[in-house]
Amino acid sequence: MPRVFHVPAGTVRSRRSAAAAADRATPCREAGHSADAQQDDRGRVVAGYLAPHPPHLIYAENPPQNEPRSTGGWEVLRWGYEELRRRMAARGKPDVLIVHAPHWITMVGHHVNAVPNPRGVSVEPIFPHLLRYHYDFATDVPLAEAIAEEGSRLGLVMSLMRDPDVRVDYATIGALHLTNPAWDIPVVSLSANNNPYFYSSASLEQMATLGEATRRAVERTGRRAVVLGSNSLSHLHWDVEPDVPEDMAREHPYNDAQYKGDMRLLDAIRRGPTRALPPVIEEHIATTSAETKAGSLTWLLAALGWPDVGGDVLAYGTVIGTGNAVVEWVAP
Amino acid sequence: MTLLAAAFVPGMPHLLARSPAPSWRRLADATREVGVRLRRLEPDAVLLMSTQWFTVLGHQLQLDPNPRGRRTDENWYAYDYGHIAYDLRMDSDLAACWAEEIEAEQMQARRTRYDGFPIDTGTVTASALLDPDRRLRYAQVSCNLYADAAAMARVGAAGRKAASRSGKRVAVIAVSGLSSGLIQRWIRPEEDAIATSAYEEWDRRILDLLAGGRVDDALAIRTEYGEQALADSQLRALAFLHGADALTGPADVLAYGPVWGTGNAVVYWQPEAAPTRESPQH
Repeated sequence: MPRVFHVPAGTVRSRRSAAAAADRATPCREAGHSADAQQDDRGRVVAGYLAPHPPHLIYAENPPQNEPRSTGGWEVLRWGYEELRRRMAARGKPDVLIVHAPHWITMVGHHVNAVPNPRGVSVEPIFPHLLRYHYDFATDVPLAEAIAEEGSRLGLVMSLMRDPDVRVDYATIGALHLTNPAWDIPVVSLSANNNPYFYSSASLEQMATLGEATRRAVERTGRRAVVLGSNSLSHLHWDVEPDVPEDMAREHPYNDAQYKGDMRLLDAIRRGPTRALPPVIEEHIATTSAETKAGSLTWLLAALGWPDVGGDVLAYGTVIGTGNAVVEWVAP
Repeated sequence: MTLLAAAFVPGMPHLLARSPAPSWRRLADATREVGVRLRRLEPDAVLLMSTQWFTVLGHQLQLDPNPRGRRTDENWYAYDYGHIAYDLRMDSDLAACWAEEIEAEQMQARRTRYDGFPIDTGTVTASALLDPDRRLRYAQVSCNLYADAAAMARVGAAGRKAASRSGKRVAVIAVSGLSSGLIQRWIRPEEDAIATSAYEEWDRRILDLLAGGRVDDALAIRTEYGEQALADSQLRALAFLHGADALTGPADVLAYGPVWGTGNAVVYWQPEAAPTRESPQH
């Protein structure tokens, strides 16, 4: 029997005031990492995470902000995010989370969200049955402006987006919610210019330049930043969905080649250094149609300054057949 | 059921600009002309597919009878045309019937009805031009990114079957661009031009074939066109229209021109004897 979904969007369950959001935009710190060490970290990207965004993960968490209810699923990936949150807290709360997301698709240049307090309901057009999320967060506007300026200085086409009516996409929401479900850390979100994704081969140089611009802006503004690359890995997936989306009996890699492609990339990531990764990323894109073609991973590594370290794979799992990994890089 | 007409129209919001480039104005006027022709035929509904409502799981059908709101485009928000109010009349019964016909084809149909669902820029742009007075009713299906041309043709055919089963007189519209050489900088409208002469040659080759009634020949080079001119969604919109058996005879190419470097055209097909409500039907 076909199902028809009709659920009113309702009201924001826990809408916080713009004033409270502005308060949150003030960089703050908490125990867990010495104040001196945090002082030393000012003006640095201290860590970066590959932070995949499938809406299934939020759906499985059943947070109050999301309207659909689930019975769980995709636990290993969600446990990876738990570990991410534990590590980030142990290192001391960052001033800002900067996220690059492939589903804020822009056609001309790179856009930076400079709306002070984005809030609204994001009904996801592809997965509306899984994600109807009430968002309300604070943007670090000075840092957003600095990233746009630095990007322009490096020759990129940059835009500051100040329109509060632009819906925040699910890749931005997904990575941010799973990294920080309390939403108590200011945010800067960046769009993904879709030209590399849809219209050309994996030309990721611009994304590396955008990462460099991000790093320079963090240094200039003195922020202690964590960067999130909101990308999945291999991206072939099922074209139909089971009646119960969280039916884990249906969840496995799309095929063995996709899985092995992901493992080759993750093995290279674990071995490091990051500077060895660009050709591996390009090969991975070519062989697995990887979502990293949107550039979030390349941007992330460039924002970290291509550190001479390996990444720590916190979790790997599939979502509708796509490969997803939660990975941590810590700047030395 | 009678299939009254078909059209291929652009979905770029620039066509709604207060100060359009000459090309944007021509394309907008041509789309309005298609709307005039369609309304003259008084269809019960319009089967609609926009490449900007792209999905990845199954084929989504819009079952909200009255999606309304204001679309703020995530790329063009800084321009007047980046903000589009919409108040659509949907034939949700026909869409539900279409979903059943898609399932009968052993494909997955997904019924969509959510308050606040973001209607895509292509749909709201085209509907604003085709039918500013909201006389038309639409039944809309998404464009699955991973459905090949054959699958899109079957989706089109399923729409036609649904209309036939419902006893409805329909038109079929695809909202899609042609070549996709988007200019990667902010331009003034008067600077607009097709990205490369090669892309324009490809666009015109396709349009010449359609104007000559050679749809099969156009479909035969669709893949190459997609590769050589980065055609919007590999021109699967044409396969969708063809699957609905809507491309009868030579097309009337009403306009062609650039929008921010991309190729766009307004193309119209109408069977010679498409009846109005007053004329006899067989």
